[in-house]
Amino acid sequence: MGVKIGEGKFFERVDKGINDKFMRKAVKEAQTRLEGRKTQTTEEMGNWEDWRDLSEEIRQHTLENLDYYLDQFVENVAKQGGHVFFAEDAAEANEYITSVVKKKEAKNIIKSKSMVTEEISMNEALEELGCNVVESDLGEWILQLDDHDPPSHIVVPALHKNKEQIRDTFRDKRKYDKSSDPNELAQFAREQLRKDFLSAEVGITGCNFAVAESGTVSLVTNEGNARMATTLPKTQITVMGMERIVPTWKELDILVSMLCRSAVGQKLTSYITGLTATKEEGDVDGPEEFHVVIVDNGRSKILGTQFQSALQCIRCAACINVCPVYRHVGGHSYGSIYPGPIGAVLTPLLEGYDDHKELPYASTLCAACTDACPVKIPLHELLVEHRRVIVEQSGKSSFGEKLAMKGYAYAASNPSVYKIGSSSAPSFIGHVAKGEDGHGKGPGPVKLWTDIRDLPEPTGDTFRKWYVNREKGGGKS
Amino acid sequence: MTTGTIHNKDKFLRKIADQLGRKRRTEKVELPKWSKLPQYEVFDGLSKDELLDQFVLQCENIHTNVVVTTQAELKEMFPKIINDLGGKSIVHWKDPRFDEYGLREALENQKKSGVSVHEWNKDLGKRNIEKAEQANIGITFSDVTLAESGTCVLHSDNGKGRSVSLLPEKYLAIIPKSTLVPRMTQATDKIHEIAQKNGRMPSCINFISGPSNSADIELRLVVGVHGPVKATYIVIDDK
Amino acid sequence: MKVSLFLTCLADVVYPASVGKSTVEILERLGCEVDFPKKQTCCGQPAFNSGFHRESRDVAKHMIKTFEEAEYVVSPSGSCVTMLHEYSKLFSEDPEWQERAKALSDKSFELTQFIVDVLKVDDVGAEFHGNVTYHTSCHMTRLLKVKEAPMKLLENVKGLKFTELPNKQQCCGFGGTFSVKMVPISEQMVNEKVEHIEETDAEVLIGADLGCLMNIGGRIERQGKPIKVMHIAEVLNSQA
Repeated sequence: MGVKIGEGKFFERVDKGINDKFMRKAVKEAQTRLEGRKTQTTEEMGNWEDWRDLSEEIRQHTLENLDYYLDQFVENVAKQGGHVFFAEDAAEANEYITSVVKKKEAKNIIKSKSMVTEEISMNEALEELGCNVVESDLGEWILQLDDHDPPSHIVVPALHKNKEQIRDTFRDKRKYDKSSDPNELAQFAREQLRKDFLSAEVGITGCNFAVAESGTVSLVTNEGNARMATTLPKTQITVMGMERIVPTWKELDILVSMLCRSAVGQKLTSYITGLTATKEEGDVDGPEEFHVVIVDNGRSKILGTQFQSALQCIRCAACINVCPVYRHVGGHSYGSIYPGPIGAVLTPLLEGYDDHKELPYASTLCAACTDACPVKIPLHELLVEHRRVIVEQSGKSSFGEKLAMKGYAYAASNPSVYKIGSSSAPSFIGHVAKGEDGHGKGPGPVKLWTDIRDLPEPTGDTFRKWYVNREKGGGKS
Repeated sequence: MTTGTIHNKDKFLRKIADQLGRKRRTEKVELPKWSKLPQYEVFDGLSKDELLDQFVLQCENIHTNVVVTTQAELKEMFPKIINDLGGKSIVHWKDPRFDEYGLREALENQKKSGVSVHEWNKDLGKRNIEKAEQANIGITFSDVTLAESGTCVLHSDNGKGRSVSLLPEKYLAIIPKSTLVPRMTQATDKIHEIAQKNGRMPSCINFISGPSNSADIELRLVVGVHGPVKATYIVIDDK
Repeated sequence: MKVSLFLTCLADVVYPASVGKSTVEILERLGCEVDFPKKQTCCGQPAFNSGFHRESRDVAKHMIKTFEEAEYVVSPSGSCVTMLHEYSKLFSEDPEWQERAKALSDKSFELTQFIVDVLKVDDVGAEFHGNVTYHTSCHMTRLLKVKEAPMKLLENVKGLKFTELPNKQQCCGFGGTFSVKMVPISEQMVNEKVEHIEETDAEVLIGADLGCLMNIGGRIERQGKPIKVMHIAEVLNSQA
């Protein structure tokens, strides 16, 4: 699928999102519910800010020493019989993964949810090989059946679909003949996917956190699909972004706790699974062969820059669940598999500004995201930083904006110029506000403003006039 | 065990070090002293009985039925619980604790009453998985039990197959009260010790909190997706 | 106590005298000596948030100089005071200016914050009759972390019938240049805000930031709703 999803220009996608009534209702309800649950579980902790401080310290320390911890992790994996491949980019990762699958002569592959495999278009690479790749996360499976509809949320990927649409997809693709009751739909998925789990030769997973000290890969799920994918197939391949690592199990405790609470408001999800390399000798279930693919794909170039904190992300979607922009436009508007505030920060870093130049501006900088982030990524500040880079380095800001900002700054740092501007502003605004049709339609930004809103009516004196008069009068009004 | 292969490590890690503006870190990196350790404040100083109260409370939130019993009463309770879960077929770990807590006899009695009972047996290979897949009830002990989240921690080994807590329709965990700890922290501290000893890790450590579930359809909670649709915990008051 | 008023450009240029006048009158009533440094302009936020940091440094320097002599700087805007607090980051490579920026931020307060936290006053003796609700502006709440002060002061206004705004934590969709760069999104956001205001049956929406109020008020006007928008200074300056 790649990072980039969807067609059309940014504002076309936004327009489509805004006009999708079901999606908007679903997103609003989801935000209310997820945010409510998160607030409840974090408030009952009483010291949430301490947890956030600790989590931030852990993530920062790990990133600062990333080469060391990755080294420790992979040596521990290999020591216990697992294979490791470091992949520079999507092509390298897919080449290795397909080579393993080929060697195993595997046809049936079961997957548990993984954003990084979406990022590198792994499914497509395996399908080209003639493999049958089945997504086993319920949400991802729904999207896969529905002709690979892209995810619109990183935790609840099919958030934009209602149960009737899902029922229809099941009916059209799998001859489902029951109701749209989520229980019946899920039961059907359980039956269908059981067969896939049992017949798969290779299971592919993502990785929530890898533990350096033991060479363990941890997976956080509610459905149990990641457990299935790592219990039944003979070969397990885990694909992880290179930053998803913790030093020891002690730090795993903290970050898993933060992830579960921030993502879904649970103390722990139903299953937290720590998998270390292959099954042990004499074990009946679990993989005989274990591979971990560690993916860079643009991450390393974020290290050491002012954007490094973006790599602290633990993919909980708390920022998405509070974002007022996401609320109205939905996930697909972002044109990236990573939507919302973290998506707006991360996507241009991974993919460049060309296709995603609007994303840093798709925020009011209200800082709800920054407040919600369990690892304290200053998301709204990073969005401003993107804007600064666009202005100062990439030269991609428009000529008009440059002119306006330079003019503004000149006026705002030269009181005599500011005074001329400010004294003429009220009459100008008065003119616009009163416009011919009663709703002012002035030039440039003013027109854009008055497209949907009125301007304040200038009634009475300005403050400066009042103040000067009062000074002259010597008294207090 | 044969050692696995590692591809492209040096090039990859050198790039990271370059980006971070320094040489590769090859000497041991010490963990910093974290400024806060809030995890140890949770249920700090609570007795096992108080932890049990918290545990039972939390199990309500995770749709899990808890039965608290004594070892003496367990023999009576066990058939009732199996019956409530629909009997039919059981698969369970090969675990000395079944004898220790007097459950061996209870299982034998189940067998006599017509319930199919399968004990995980590594010599039977894949047959175990088929048994688990067809079983109505999977039974395991809890190695460590977390009060805060209502969690059973399960370490895999030869007799302790991963499938037992996963494939059957219902999951039954036997929890000695002595295994109760405040939260995940105490469990991971122990696992950390195993890792530090540098031995082979259990290949699979599961933290199980109730039945499998999903909210992927319109965010409505569905209990029972790929894993068990129902979870029951029996806590044995073993002092 | 000597206080220098930082009026903000919106109150200076776009809005009539009332907000600044109310601010001066309240502070004077509470015993402060208020002056208005006439060279003041804007906090620089439009340029800063748009990524024009070189330009905003010029504005920041001007503002730092303008208020250098002030004992306290008080402003009827949480957002603009937040921006003053950002100045020191702008000068991370210029220790001298960073020092001066820090001095400004240390003495700068949003109006209600100043009244409650510095003057230690919870009741300004105001009286205002009507059903009202209050919009918590994002920068003031989340970045300046002023949450309680306006509530405390409003609680003690005689005659006020207060209803809490549903989803009050949600941004109104102003966001400075966002309001003109991302009009379709801003429109949806402000529409939802207006819907929630209507749910409270308030006759008056109170806020502490003119940016938000200009956005919400402008939308209310356009939709022809009978809801009045007032700055908190105007309410706190109301007398029987």
